[in-house]
Amino acid sequence: MSDPGHDDHSLGGRPDAAVLAALARPEVRDDGADKVTGRTRYAGDRTMPGALWAAFLGSPVPHGRIRSIDTARARAMPGVRAVLTGADVEGVRFGRRLQDRPVLAWDRVLFVGDRIAAAAADSLEAAEAAVAAIELDIEELEPVLDPIRALEPGAPVLHPDAEGYAYLGGTRQPVDHPNVQGVLLRRRGADDIDAVFASAARVFEHEFTTPAQHHGYIEPHATLVWIDDAGVAHIVTTNKTPQGLRNQMAKALGLPADRIDVDAGAIGGDFGGKGYCIDEYACFVLARATGRPVRAVTRYADELAALNVRHAARIRLRTALDAEGALLAHEADVVFDGGAYASAKPLPHLSLAGGVATLSAYRVPNIRIEARTVYTNGIPGGHMRSPGEVQALFAGESHLDAIARELGEDPLAFRLRHVVRDGEVGALGEPFREARGAEVLEAAREAIGWDRPRPDGRGRGVALGVRHVGGGAVTLRLRLTADGRIEVVTGMPDQGGGQTTVLRRVLALAASVDEGRILVTRPSTAGAPADPGIGGSRVTHIGSRAAELLGRRLREWIDERLPRALPDAPAGAELRADALVDPATGRVLLGFGELVARLVAPDEPVELEASFDAGTHGPDEPGDNDFAACAVEVSVDRETGTIAIHEAVLAADVGTIINPIAHAGQLDGGFAFGVGAALMEELVIEDGVVVGRSLGETRLPTIRDVPPLRQVLLPTAVGPGAFGAKMAGELSNSPVAPAIANAVADAVGVRITALPLTPERVLAALRARER
Amino acid sequence: MTDGAPGRPIRLTVNGIGHSLAVDPARRLLDVLRDDLDLTGTKESCAVGVCGACSVLVDGTLVSACLMPAILADGRSVTTVEGLAGPDGSLSALQEAFIVEGGLQCGACTPGQVVAATALLAENPAPSDDEIRDWMAGNLCRCTGYAGILRAIRAAAGAGSR
Repeated sequence: MSDPGHDDHSLGGRPDAAVLAALARPEVRDDGADKVTGRTRYAGDRTMPGALWAAFLGSPVPHGRIRSIDTARARAMPGVRAVLTGADVEGVRFGRRLQDRPVLAWDRVLFVGDRIAAAAADSLEAAEAAVAAIELDIEELEPVLDPIRALEPGAPVLHPDAEGYAYLGGTRQPVDHPNVQGVLLRRRGADDIDAVFASAARVFEHEFTTPAQHHGYIEPHATLVWIDDAGVAHIVTTNKTPQGLRNQMAKALGLPADRIDVDAGAIGGDFGGKGYCIDEYACFVLARATGRPVRAVTRYADELAALNVRHAARIRLRTALDAEGALLAHEADVVFDGGAYASAKPLPHLSLAGGVATLSAYRVPNIRIEARTVYTNGIPGGHMRSPGEVQALFAGESHLDAIARELGEDPLAFRLRHVVRDGEVGALGEPFREARGAEVLEAAREAIGWDRPRPDGRGRGVALGVRHVGGGAVTLRLRLTADGRIEVVTGMPDQGGGQTTVLRRVLALAASVDEGRILVTRPSTAGAPADPGIGGSRVTHIGSRAAELLGRRLREWIDERLPRALPDAPAGAELRADALVDPATGRVLLGFGELVARLVAPDEPVELEASFDAGTHGPDEPGDNDFAACAVEVSVDRETGTIAIHEAVLAADVGTIINPIAHAGQLDGGFAFGVGAALMEELVIEDGVVVGRSLGETRLPTIRDVPPLRQVLLPTAVGPGAFGAKMAGELSNSPVAPAIANAVADAVGVRITALPLTPERVLAALRARER
Repeated sequence: MTDGAPGRPIRLTVNGIGHSLAVDPARRLLDVLRDDLDLTGTKESCAVGVCGACSVLVDGTLVSACLMPAILADGRSVTTVEGLAGPDGSLSALQEAFIVEGGLQCGACTPGQVVAATALLAENPAPSDDEIRDWMAGNLCRCTGYAGILRAIRAAAGAGSR
């Protein structure tokens, strides 16, 4: 092979039967025993001798100017060690890409909960009492709560000093309105798309809205910060991109990156929300001011109101069909409420990549799709499981369904007629290595019994999604000790996806050693190899490829040393099933343990390294996608407006599965996420204030709310990961809400265009139709 | 907590070990377990008794430790997730089943899930799926979609009844 990063099976060859058989065995998670016994320590479970507790004062108003802050009373309270305000950190702003959020506001506050002051005290109670004693005088300014309003020509400009903000890794693209955070514009086909619409046989227009949502992880944000005698700041945190956080903190605080050591340990649920941390900065400043360790655990009320949330969206769609019924043109105007700061968004465009995914799986020759994130005086928007796509797909798949019904065509057949096929490009102009939309639609059709008569009162709905397999660059390190143990060192945190088990399984297969020998360790950033962190549907892909390369390195290393260490070994002796084997006879020459004892000196462990960069391994990566179709059968209670899901099917295009149990768990978990988004999850925000600031009021699905899901897996061997693996974590959630909305339309004939599909909305729609 | 520390004296047994403590009446059982006894397996999440992450058994009854003042545990016996494995460290059938059946991912809700399911099987050794759903509705999980949790409890109940 010309490119050492490539290997046979990742380019389309099916892995051999022995590998498939090994991977078909259900995995036993290596983190399982610690988690079921409570031994796993998350950031909030850790402390230090002498650690102080931090508490924060948030803005009571959505938009205001700080006239004065008096902390004298707070500072004099018992047990209080420091009270800091914006004056102590004036000019210090942080963010993942655009650093626009102040550690503590010194001038203006831009949303309810915007941090104004921080206290460190001997106990949490004392710290909270201190911030409650701060006297604050704020001049209220007119808030901008609606992103559409924020885009008007005369709207108040929320970030007049944006030109001075740091932007990590390049230059911020220009925006056409000062309240625009970022924009993603995709165009294809005719320059004048309005002319195409004017010439079309039929044009359909719909508008959709989706709400802000919280990720709902069970572990709230938590951090512990201390500065050692050498001046290195140690940051224990629940962050899924610890090397990114280190770099962001270095930039914001003006420190060299090697003075910051981030330990991300175990993460108690992510879903995008743990890419963004805010308390780490204030705790650092408090630790510096007091000379003591400082810890903070976010109360769930603040999780819901002040961290980062799924962007609420308003999506206007317009689609044209020609006289033969082909999709001719599609236009999408997607406006995301970005909230007060763009700092939670990591991508260069500062918009949401999934926001343009309204009709990605279909053939449309002419498009104009614009997804903008907009500053308002609301909670900052961040990434949440399939960011932007959940919103865009609800709109796009509801829109298509409505078009099909208006044309009198079966919605599933309509999709099959327009879905992209092998060799074609989708609406966004992107190629697909395997275009399996039709396959998953057919599988969903079969599994849900689409063509059977509907039972009385029931309706069926389907939705199709497609999502890329992510990439990135990652390095893994291996340490082989004389006792035959293999330590794999990674910078990849563990948010529960099962990736350490992926690394062990793949390395074991690639090297032909027993998985039980392999221990994966995750040191803090100072000791970790390069890693982009968790997210973007990349982990299984790049992690497994690096593990595979590492396994090969190990075999090569053994091959090189064998002649000297074992001069009598027959030619071609190689590792098979955890032993050195004579390939000619199949005879076991030495167990792996004995072999290693001869190759490795007791006090001199062998260190090997492997790197994989999807970005430089061109030909196989672009176009790797997973398609998934969700189909449901529902009924609607016409008196209460409640929706019951009687059947649910997910037909998914998957690669070679490395962890069968975890893979099923990702699809089940994604489905539950989709059910929550469809039926109940919404952060209700009134006048800029999140109301219902507890999990008692902002509901998440319980075990009673999630119906059983039947998974129909359609494996392929051409995924870009090791042995043809693809991704699973962000595959199943997006199509759920539109499938349910479409089933409601089928059952009772009303089209709900706003999420969630609450009983109130359903009843209102039913009554509006009766009038 | 040392002798003479402020607070009301209480005695409680946690996972079979007796403790004499002085606690402020405002402190929750959750705080005493986590901060005084360093039993951090019991998690705090919602803090309003909705999510179940802080589930413990008090004299065998399932309780949200975030809602219970520690002084109410005086004289009682508390079992936390750390107390479910055998004295030799062997996992309970439920703990094994949660691992094998995919009943956990990130693990933050897992201690509460396992404790709540332990209480369920103590009361009803062979629950139906509906009975499992009703009992476990007080324990939120954001990762698994609950399918693995349901399988795990079914499997452990089956193992127990054999």
